Amino acid sequence: MAELTPFSYRPGVSVLHLQDVRFKLVFIVFISIASMKACFMSLSVLSFALFSAILIIHLPFKSILKELRYFFVFLIFVFAARALCTSGTPLIEFMGIDVTLQGMYDGTLVCWRMLLVVLVGLLFVSTTRSSETRAAIEWFLNPFPFIPGKRVATMMSLIVRFIPVIFKQAKETSDAQRARGVENRKNPVYRLMKLAVPLIRRTFESADKLAVAMEARCYSEKRINTKLYANRSDWIALFLVLCLCVLLSVIDMFECLY
Amino acid sequence: MNSSTQIRMTAYASLLAALTAAGAYLSIPIGPVPIVLQNFFILLTGLLLGSRWGFASVAIYLLAGACGFPVFSGGTGGFGRIIGPTGGYLVGYLPAVYIIGAISEKTGQKAVFDVIAMCCGSIIVYVFGVAWLKVLTGMSWSNTLAVGMFPFIPGDALKIAAAVPIAKTLRPIMRKW
Repeated sequence: MAELTPFSYRPGVSVLHLQDVRFKLVFIVFISIASMKACFMSLSVLSFALFSAILIIHLPFKSILKELRYFFVFLIFVFAARALCTSGTPLIEFMGIDVTLQGMYDGTLVCWRMLLVVLVGLLFVSTTRSSETRAAIEWFLNPFPFIPGKRVATMMSLIVRFIPVIFKQAKETSDAQRARGVENRKNPVYRLMKLAVPLIRRTFESADKLAVAMEARCYSEKRINTKLYANRSDWIALFLVLCLCVLLSVIDMFECLY
Repeated sequence: MNSSTQIRMTAYASLLAALTAAGAYLSIPIGPVPIVLQNFFILLTGLLLGSRWGFASVAIYLLAGACGFPVFSGGTGGFGRIIGPTGGYLVGYLPAVYIIGAISEKTGQKAVFDVIAMCCGSIIVYVFGVAWLKVLTGMSWSNTLAVGMFPFIPGDALKIAAAVPIAKTLRPIMRKW
């Protein structure tokens, strides 16, 4: 289950790897806002752009499919819910349930958008070291006076570190419970307790070890940051992404007129 | 607060934020609707960490989601989710955790008051979530409640019932370290 998380950095020297992290974070925000209201045409344009980005950084498609396989199941549910619950012209009628044309259309759009946003996130995490992400977050939080930027950044990178640990522990715990026949117990409170208590206890133990390790290495909030450099290619990329977003919203405006 | 305790609390707060993120994927398959553990971990964050660190933990979780880490349910992240239709529930976690932590701290962590605290917390989450859902989708109040609140109440009652003994088991362990 640990491979479920798309949190993994792949070393490389592609254009996306060499981009300044601060710019990459800005790109994510822009693209996810632009894709929120997007219709078919603009989604195709965006998909094409992402597809070429995946080709550029040599991310193998097989591993993307593997990392997103649970997400696809989720998408199928969302699609089915949309297709069945939206009113409109019925396309197929089966046992009193209508699958409507509008529902299919809506469902496809919603799923497509979600998939694209997840792909953007995947591109980001697979081309960025977590230390760079932390430095970029610190940089963005610097202007806010009451937020301790360094601590926030540390905590965020800790979250990313803990998630695979939790999944591994959860799988071990539920396997152990299943081996002891927990599925025969129908009381949900009992099942929840028997999963949550060992899971939280063990992960707290590992968090505790981590805290001791940080202390032993003299962790403090007075430390030197990772240096971030922005050069001309970053500004060019920012310009290109802005053009892409403007293009997307223009296409949407035209498509919504019809 | 000395630096050693502070590092430890930082690690714990991050861990609970990570558990909340992982809770979107973890579920117990019982009955037709599996019980997803995400808001269960929000309740526990308030009970175990108290008001200040609990608030920090959830704030970090939301910030990580807003930055694009896939920590929200369904493996999505990004700013769009926070201003999207279900964003009200996410934002509602913040005051909810603070209130849960504050009530359980003030009342000496008794089981009865823990239940009251978690009920208040859940109500706050629903007030934010349902109001935002109504504003965004323009549905009538009765429809919004039927979609965004009533189906989840049995599951929530169950999570509150389970959270009390779990918090009771885990608190001594946390205090020992």
